[in-house]
Amino acid sequence: MIRFILADLRRFSGGALAVVILIALSVALSVAVTLQERAVRLGSARAAEKFDLLVGAPGSETQLALSSVFLQPAPLPLLSGQVLARLADDPRVAMAAPVGFGDSSFGHPIVGTTTALVAALSPTLAEGAVFTRLGEAVVGADVPLSTGAEVKPMHGSVETGGETHTEIVYHVTGRMAPTGTAWDRAILVPIRAVWSLHGMAGAHEEDHEHADADAGADDHEHEHEHGHVDAQARLDEHFDAGTPGVPAILVKPKTIADAYRLRQEYRSETTLAVFPAEVLTRLYGTLGDARSLLLAIAIGTQGIVIAAILLVAIMHIGSRRRQIGALRALGAPMRSVVVIVWGELFLLFLAGIALGGGLGLAVAELVSARMTAATAVRLPVEFAREDWRLAAGFVIAAAIVSLVPAIAALRLSPAAALRS
Amino acid sequence: MLSLDVTGLEMRFPGLASPVLSIDRLHLPAGARLAITGASGSGKSTLVNAITGLERVEHGSILWGGEDMARLSGWQRDAFRARHIGLVMQDFHLFPGLSAFENVVLPVRLARRLSVAEAERARLLLDMTGIARPAQKIETLSRGEMQRVAVARALLSKPGVVVADEPTASLDRSAGEEVADLLVRLSREEGATLVVVTHDPALSERLDRRIRLAGGVIIEDSGEAEAA
Repeated sequence: MIRFILADLRRFSGGALAVVILIALSVALSVAVTLQERAVRLGSARAAEKFDLLVGAPGSETQLALSSVFLQPAPLPLLSGQVLARLADDPRVAMAAPVGFGDSSFGHPIVGTTTALVAALSPTLAEGAVFTRLGEAVVGADVPLSTGAEVKPMHGSVETGGETHTEIVYHVTGRMAPTGTAWDRAILVPIRAVWSLHGMAGAHEEDHEHADADAGADDHEHEHEHGHVDAQARLDEHFDAGTPGVPAILVKPKTIADAYRLRQEYRSETTLAVFPAEVLTRLYGTLGDARSLLLAIAIGTQGIVIAAILLVAIMHIGSRRRQIGALRALGAPMRSVVVIVWGELFLLFLAGIALGGGLGLAVAELVSARMTAATAVRLPVEFAREDWRLAAGFVIAAAIVSLVPAIAALRLSPAAALRS
Repeated sequence: MLSLDVTGLEMRFPGLASPVLSIDRLHLPAGARLAITGASGSGKSTLVNAITGLERVEHGSILWGGEDMARLSGWQRDAFRARHIGLVMQDFHLFPGLSAFENVVLPVRLARRLSVAEAERARLLLDMTGIARPAQKIETLSRGEMQRVAVARALLSKPGVVVADEPTASLDRSAGEEVADLLVRLSREEGATLVVVTHDPALSERLDRRIRLAGGVIIEDSGEAEAA
């Protein structure tokens, strides 16, 4: 029986192939949409995991989260350094690290921060050691720089026509272990180096002269905008009221209750506090709507494809009336004829569904790989239990649809079929 | 071996006033060899379809060894045909992509498991019909060889009767003679009643009895002529 079906399919291999491709493409569309949406959701949720609470200046919550979690370049308003000092001393806070964006090197964002954040992101470094002087840097796992390499920071990025800072050259001293987040593409440097570079007094030797102009760079004269940096200076990670402004502060509260209390406290007129995970969940809501729409389109496409296949199958049965009549005339029982007609189409469906699943998976992997290459955020393409339910649904629908031409074949009288 | 008794058979097609076939009585003893001749449109094919159960019979009875084909349902007629009637058709109805051997055993395989004895018999029949390579793909055979494979297929299940509908019409003369030879010889050896529809005189001459149809009625019957 199966040999007869296969021989028959070989005879119509062109048409069979076309049907398989048609099914495969429509299945691949829904598989890719489902997998990709899940990959983006899981990947960004994992990327946000390490960032419990973000505190920034009042503005867009979404921008604050995107800039901190995905290091998306955007001008953020600065938050007073006093807030950092207060958070650092708060007994409910396990860690409060400043995050200073703005510079880049060969497309890699340079982030000014503290050793505490490096330790939080990568408890043990993959190689080397954490920075101990202002002119040292730790790179993310995906940054193609080895220990000892030099990093010349550029203000902004190449795309925005930034100029290269000449006051400092960072030396890479260590590399973080992979985190699967956008921070794998980042170059981490001491926050005070960033401040000094941008003429935001705060490095201690300038502290006393400019103490009242610390809040931002705007108050400085032009010649002061790019300050002097002593690359050999030791780190100072103690923050006080004289600390310059920062775009964002990453906070690790000691308990969940503390997290909620801190968020409540720092939602004020001068500060903004968000849970990045919560902001992202809101974004996924939008993403989920887009997925529903795409999935509806994909399923609509499948409906059209099934209708087209039925049309082809019924026309095919019409042209095979003689063969079916001959099978019955020669003594093949009805059930064999039904199984042959049903089996042929069902086999094509199965091949199409399998091929489409593989194709959809490949597309999702490809898109994920590209997005990971661009953002360093790992987007895990994986199957979930509900996918198998969907696949089972496809197979059952295919089995039922395949019955239609089989029933059409049943109604033929063998003599009439042979005459045609 | 089956005898055939046709009584009061009348076949009509919708929209036609007169019946396309009308046979009061036709008796064929078991093991007989009958040729049915006649111009096209004389009702030959309708008669074959009626006695093989391919077409439903509304009026009359068709008894094969006592079993009335006219009283069976479509499914039962299929089953009866599979068990008792070997069919050979003008355009072979072999299935490309399968070998000669696979074509011979296909009807059995589609119904049940092929037994070792049946596989053995299929090889023997192919050997008797002169097919040298049973594993050869059917579409690569000559037309004469194809019809010989069809004869082997018709005989596989040891049918009580072999019905051939214009078995030589689409063959050249020498191939036609070979097939005619085979049909007559093998049906005798296998002990099957043989009914052949043909307008090939070389073939009909070799059978014991000839009836001629015109306008759906028997106008000539060599058997009755002899009896008379």
